[in-house]
Amino acid sequence: MRKFLSVVKHEYKKIVLKWSFLLATLLFPLLAAAFAVVPALIFSIKGEATRIIVADQTGKIASRVRENLSSEKMAVKASEAQKDALKNLNASQEEQMKRSAEQMGVSFNFVEYVADGKSVEQLKRELNTKITEKEIDAYLIVPANYESSDAKFEFFSRKAGDFVANSSLEKAINSAVRSQRLADADISEDKLKDLSRNVDLSVKKVSEEGDEKDDEGSFAAGVIIGLMIYITLLIYGQQIMSAVVEEKETRIAEILFSSAKPFELMMGKLVGVGLAGLTQLAIWVVSALVLVGVGIAQMSAAGINITIPDITALTIIYFFIFFLLGFFIYATIYALIGSMVTNVQEGGQFAMFPVFILIIGFYLSFAVIRDPNSNVSFWVSIAPFFAPIVMPVRILAETPPFWQIALAILLNSLAIAGLVWLAARVYRVGMLMYGKRATIPEVWKWIRQS
Amino acid sequence: MIEQEVTLRVESVSKHYGDFTAVENLSFNVRAGRVFGFLGPNGAGKTTTIRMIVGINFPDEGKIELFGSRISSDLQNRIGYLPEERGLYKKMKIVDQLRYFAALKNVSQAEADRRIDFWLERMRLSEWKSKKTTDLSKGMQQKIQFISTVLHNPDLLILDEPFSGLDPINVEFLKEVIAELKAQSKTIIFSTHLMETAEQLCDDILLINKSRKVVSGSLREVKASFGRNLIALRAVGGEAVLEDKNLVAKITDHADEKHLVLAEHADAQILLKSLIENGALIDKFERIEPSLNDIFIAKIKGI
Repeated sequence: MRKFLSVVKHEYKKIVLKWSFLLATLLFPLLAAAFAVVPALIFSIKGEATRIIVADQTGKIASRVRENLSSEKMAVKASEAQKDALKNLNASQEEQMKRSAEQMGVSFNFVEYVADGKSVEQLKRELNTKITEKEIDAYLIVPANYESSDAKFEFFSRKAGDFVANSSLEKAINSAVRSQRLADADISEDKLKDLSRNVDLSVKKVSEEGDEKDDEGSFAAGVIIGLMIYITLLIYGQQIMSAVVEEKETRIAEILFSSAKPFELMMGKLVGVGLAGLTQLAIWVVSALVLVGVGIAQMSAAGINITIPDITALTIIYFFIFFLLGFFIYATIYALIGSMVTNVQEGGQFAMFPVFILIIGFYLSFAVIRDPNSNVSFWVSIAPFFAPIVMPVRILAETPPFWQIALAILLNSLAIAGLVWLAARVYRVGMLMYGKRATIPEVWKWIRQS
Repeated sequence: MIEQEVTLRVESVSKHYGDFTAVENLSFNVRAGRVFGFLGPNGAGKTTTIRMIVGINFPDEGKIELFGSRISSDLQNRIGYLPEERGLYKKMKIVDQLRYFAALKNVSQAEADRRIDFWLERMRLSEWKSKKTTDLSKGMQQKIQFISTVLHNPDLLILDEPFSGLDPINVEFLKEVIAELKAQSKTIIFSTHLMETAEQLCDDILLINKSRKVVSGSLREVKASFGRNLIALRAVGGEAVLEDKNLVAKITDHADEKHLVLAEHADAQILLKSLIENGALIDKFERIEPSLNDIFIAKIKGI
């Protein structure tokens, strides 16, 4: 027992007292924050103002388009889009793209031009020359028959790839033409707004106990939790593997085995590294809670109301329990692989398998967030290998009955016992095999013989 | 022979790996306070035997007793094992590694620190205490490994090729240290290919080949039992006599002299007489003991 504790202490210190640990611990929250902020920052870089001519022979549309694209209107739209994005974290990818595009300001610079009495061909010729001479960047030809259904608006631009500008423009034209059509039909703008107002749909979830609960934000939290567990398991699994391979490669194993039982050494390593992982995760969870708290305070100060899923102390305890279950499952597999191979590169090839299982687990958690009570969610969240990622996500989305959580813990503990039994047998022999990689039949023989 | 306390008793031990027999029916005793040479060519079963002694592997048949009882975790603390294939953690400070190895032998941290300082000083490596393995030369790393073997003050030392990779100065230095440990009545099992070194250091030897014992006993006994039919000769002339197969079985050249193996039933006196009668001018004619190297080669090749 004393030797086991020495191993635990040694492995824990070996990881925690390194600069890389401190760096990773601090860097991950920063990186996560960067992932959230950087795309928005990039999109918010304003392009140069597009110099545009609206060639309007009717004289009715141009002014409305101009008004719709005025900087005041754009600013209002951008801030609306921003609020929308925060509220609806579970919007589809495509919508999010569009929204972030709207958040970016697009500015237009209207160039005066008299289009009256010129044919369409003549207009095009003249305006194309202006574009090639770089007097303007784009022009729009408003057809005379704008109110007919086969009216064709034509937009020419040097920067045809600027999808943000294009989509803003399209919206502006649509709304300008619609307003003009309404005006032609004697319906006022205000009247229309009143008639076409969106209903206010607030999505609430009824939990098992029958309370109402706001559902917004649980998607984001679920993904973050899933990702955190996934990354930690991956990093610490790899750590275990390279530590095992180092002891094998440098033949330290021989000295270690002559001092303590292989089982003590393997378990000591698993527990030591596991505690290091737990330390890191605890730091992340605490900092995440603080960050989220600060974020919410700021947003409500800014008048934006968002709700986060209620995270109780119990949720956090479950989170750590499932992290540990996952850690011991995957770390044991990695230790087993490490004792079979001769170097880290070779281990990397074998490590594809656990990584693959982890990735599947991570993606399954998306299905679980969408429907936490389906049959699939149930089976996946209790299954060994997947449960450590999926169950915490499911608990967050909607806490299942306690017996299901208990069942998941039981099944995964059994899986760990089986894996440790297996790994201990392979470890004992594999660690002293030098020079060549163990084949699967050989490994099978070690398991049966011992 | 005086009955001495026995540190290690190996009795009819066999070890098989599938169809391969690594050690077959091997028995020997290692007496306390002696240096025991464990010799044999590559693949003879030395490493397997040593691993069974230190409790890494276990014999399929037979038994091994250390200090009068079977190997256990407590007994492992009394062994210092320096494996042939050995290494250190690459990116760890020397002092941290030594502390860890000491902790695994149940040495308290304070005691370990005291001994680490003592041994680093003794090995003239004190200024490397807080350096990493990768900063050390190969020879220094070897010495650190030796320290990790003796740090817990073991009663039985098992040194497998302890001098490989060391320069002559450090070899001499390490031999001194081993002599000191012997003087402290530690038992030392010493495994090597270097017969000259074995001859210098060992009191007793065991030679194994192809998983079986070939020769064992004290160095004196082994040499004596190998016969006294070897003669060192330095002379001019008399070549005809040396070619007489009734007198000389084999001639090997050693620097400026020849070593002659007498033919069966041949007499050294008669050989000397016929050399003189044939007009040979003799500088040296001496009965010599076979070297361990000769014994090793003769036994392994079956000459």
